[in-house]
Amino acid sequence: MNGPVGIVLVSHSAGLAAGLRELLAQIGSAAVPVVAAGGSADGGIGTSYDLVAEAIDKADQGAGVAVLPDLGSSVLTTRTVLEDHPRADVAIIDAPFVEGAVAAAVTAAAGGDLHAVISAAEEARDVRKF
Amino acid sequence: MSASSDTHAQTTVTLPANLHARPAGRIAQAAARFTSTIRIEHAGRAINPTGVLSVMSLGATAGSTVTISAEGPDADTAVSSLADILATAE
Repeated sequence: MNGPVGIVLVSHSAGLAAGLRELLAQIGSAAVPVVAAGGSADGGIGTSYDLVAEAIDKADQGAGVAVLPDLGSSVLTTRTVLEDHPRADVAIIDAPFVEGAVAAAVTAAAGGDLHAVISAAEEARDVRKF
Repeated sequence: MSASSDTHAQTTVTLPANLHARPAGRIAQAAARFTSTIRIEHAGRAINPTGVLSVMSLGATAGSTVTISAEGPDADTAVSSLADILATAE
């Protein structure tokens, strides 16, 4: 039996990705594999092909992986990884970073499949904050 | 006897604490387990509680009242489960 859908947080900042991961754990994603891929390989601001590729492997428990980039080269780096390792069950999601990750994590924790997780994260774009 | 097993259930809860991110996450995960259509209403707005962001967007604060309603085969359980979470939120 497959575990929950995995989530990868790709950010220019290791601190931003790690902090978002902490927040998701508070909101109920303790059982969901959430892996942060933040910063460049040398720990600076940037994105790392290797960190993203490793994070996808780590987050994969057999039910697929949703990858959320923050912006800009996070998107480009993730796309390059997915082009080099094309898989039907790994998807990059176009959603607000924080809201999309929260919606994705809660949906994955509730047992949603990859399609449900992607939809929930994308819907974050249409839900007003207040 | 009715041929349909669908029922309607409704209750109100006075919130002991603000409906912030943590209880919203619990509400959304609980709501996803039911087949009934569920609504939470607060201050004239109604949302589907399976969306954690929608639950947070209600901006419901401690002391305010929310109405939970559900329609479907497990409406009673759905309403009582969500009411329990809201009534015991910290």
